[in-house]
Amino acid sequence: MSTEPEQTLTRRRLLRNGAASSVLLAAGPLLAASPARAATARIADALAAAAPKKGGTLTFARSVAPTQLDPANSIIAGDVYTLDKIMEPLYITSPAGQLVPWLAESHTTSADGLTWTFNLRPGVKFSNGMPLTPADVVFSIKREAANKNGPLSFLDFAIKTIKPSGANKVVMTLSAPWAPFLSDISVFANAIIPANYGGKSEKAFFANPIGTGPFMLDSFTPSSNLTLKRNPHYWQAGKPYLDAVHMNYVSDDNQRVLQIQSGEAQIIDSVPPANVAALKKASGIGVELFPAWEVDLLVFNEKLPQFADRHVRRAITYAIDRPALVAATSFGTAKPGGSFLPPSLEYYDPKTPVLAYSLSAAKAELAKSKYPHGFKTKLLIAGGVQKWSEFAAIIQQSLAPLNIIVTIDSPDNAAFHTQFEAFNYEMFIDYAINDISDPDEMASFELDFKSGGSSSYWSSYNNPAVIALVHKAEAEFDSAKRAALYGQIQAIVAGDAPFVPLDYPPYIYATSNKVNGFAVNPGGAYRLENVWLS
Amino acid sequence: MVIGVAAATFLLLHAVPGDPAHEVLGEHATPAAVAALLHRWGLDRSLGSQFVRYVGDLVTLRLGSSFVYGVSVISLIGDRIGETAALVGIGTLFAVLITVPLATVAASRRDRVPDHAVRGVSVLGLGMPAFWFGIVLIEIFALRLRLLPVGGAGSGFLGHIESLILPGLTASFAIVPLLVRSLRVGMLEVLGADFVAAARANGLGEVRVLIWHVARNAVIPTLTLLGLNIAFLVGSTVIVENVFALNGLGSLLLSSISSRDFPVVQAITLVLAISVVLINLATDLLAARLDPRIRLR
Repeated sequence: MSTEPEQTLTRRRLLRNGAASSVLLAAGPLLAASPARAATARIADALAAAAPKKGGTLTFARSVAPTQLDPANSIIAGDVYTLDKIMEPLYITSPAGQLVPWLAESHTTSADGLTWTFNLRPGVKFSNGMPLTPADVVFSIKREAANKNGPLSFLDFAIKTIKPSGANKVVMTLSAPWAPFLSDISVFANAIIPANYGGKSEKAFFANPIGTGPFMLDSFTPSSNLTLKRNPHYWQAGKPYLDAVHMNYVSDDNQRVLQIQSGEAQIIDSVPPANVAALKKASGIGVELFPAWEVDLLVFNEKLPQFADRHVRRAITYAIDRPALVAATSFGTAKPGGSFLPPSLEYYDPKTPVLAYSLSAAKAELAKSKYPHGFKTKLLIAGGVQKWSEFAAIIQQSLAPLNIIVTIDSPDNAAFHTQFEAFNYEMFIDYAINDISDPDEMASFELDFKSGGSSSYWSSYNNPAVIALVHKAEAEFDSAKRAALYGQIQAIVAGDAPFVPLDYPPYIYATSNKVNGFAVNPGGAYRLENVWLS
Repeated sequence: MVIGVAAATFLLLHAVPGDPAHEVLGEHATPAAVAALLHRWGLDRSLGSQFVRYVGDLVTLRLGSSFVYGVSVISLIGDRIGETAALVGIGTLFAVLITVPLATVAASRRDRVPDHAVRGVSVLGLGMPAFWFGIVLIEIFALRLRLLPVGGAGSGFLGHIESLILPGLTASFAIVPLLVRSLRVGMLEVLGADFVAAARANGLGEVRVLIWHVARNAVIPTLTLLGLNIAFLVGSTVIVENVFALNGLGSLLLSSISSRDFPVVQAITLVLAISVVLINLATDLLAARLDPRIRLR
């Protein structure tokens, strides 16, 4: 699949192409209609008009609803993509997928990789007007690292000590060299709050949290609508541009599309791929696809003898025509899967030797297995999701020529999770995501059978050579060497086929043309301090 | 009935697989963290002892706290019950406003074109799913004519009422077909009664006969039927709230079922069951006021 040019389009290049083409579109008619000098003047006017405008209220209809706003104790999308507007970490991930210094202005790492010193940005204040201090950082990160029930507290496991140093430094020491550390620090769960909750009780604090973010909580009904208002003490001068943001909970796909069409909402998330073409044609509405750290996987249960057989897994991988599957289901929005790492993630290797569709190769591979005449099996998916039903039906048809007869089981989402996490399945389809900008989270969760936390994404895949490489990459600080290690890992995994990476779906948003400056990072987070309404 | 609903909800919820800890802790959760949470929620006990505790809590009116939201179930329901009550109220109002003229026309033009049209439409209505009807209404009144909002709760009192018109209409269609057919039959029976013939013989106009004599007498069985069918209307709010993005009890019920938030699901089904019982009681009392025969007995 490395021959597919679209496959290798990185997130950064995609964004750059997108930005360049929209500039051309805007300038095109002006250039064609007027002499060069007038055109220059008009472009200058257009640029002046494009200067951010302050004020206004944004209405955002989302498929997710916040339940509570404690960053250390939630993994629910509605919580995560709300509290990150209020509380910020030391580093963040930009829309291009790169780490950017945020509440820290910079950091230094000791030669042995064990001591990390963060220099706090001067002049940062919390929304209550109090200045950000090293004590706040120490309190917040210690709280998250010590929170054994925290959904993402495992990301802080490497921290041994954390201490304030002087007026604006925080020093963290690690128990071992840990290359993904800066990515870990950038996760929303490591957001900074005032030390000792600013003198309040924990519960009272998170009912109306104080942070350094561009917005503050205005009103909130759990699992329903929420309103944010501008933080007057925000550290980026002149920002945010918006006075307020209404985040409305609209769970029904169709209703969200209707709200953007009618103008009741100015941004909607999770646009169904089937609606993309029609929305693009609608006047006053734009559709944007943002690459995601997300891969849809077909997972094999290697506790069963047929899937412990490497030839069987390879045969099934060969038999699934991924470009055709994506073309039939995503309406041109997703990219066919290849490596288990998505192209949006650092160290993704476009040259990974993927087992591309070939029915003859599939049959040859199955002939080498202990099941040359096929077998009967079951495919588990979460019910009520059209995409999974379509994927399952296509896989069912794709495996029929191998005489692998698939029946599809689709319980509701909660039952689905219980079933596959108990290894009560034969094959299942699910999406794997990365929460941070470093591929280690995905690599260890999906490949490190012993300590990754999920028995290799509940596949039971256990290749000691791969696990050793994953650990080596975790301790390697040289970027070129890390890239080589992840290249090796991706190649072995593509050959072993513990799961079939089916596709790379993007985040799909529709926005009113009045909305400017909206962007989503590959982790799914969107910052709103740059958004303004024309 | 309420006790039956409570027991059935408990058993159904615990019979289907699915784990609320997953929703709260995420997929990186360690088995120890999951076990600790299940213990805190009391979900590590036997089903029998959980049921005994549940019944005990119900009797003492302790509805507990939501697993997912961490706040008391009563406050969650309190935030949302108004929306659902308003929807049921407006849905009932529409049901009556649509039913009475349609049934009157059908009964007074028995076996002629208007009668067949009304009966045909009501059969069609019975077979039409609420979410689809809702989408058609949105397409016409909100997107094309731009008269009403496509969804959401609106702002201010008037905005709120406005936002409930299309959902109310959609909800009313869960029961209008049944009510029209029943009121039509009731009116036909009354039309054949001696006192109607007497009224006509006295020279009263047909409209007056229909409204003063026929409709008044036919309304009582319809009211009883409305009371019995209100359960369908209440049930339809689950779908209608979802289609129109209203954050009432129905949409909370749906999301709580999918996250296996047992206390919330149990409490909402209980609240809905109790309201159906209360509405039935209220319609019976109203029927008694309207019909002196019932009062005498």
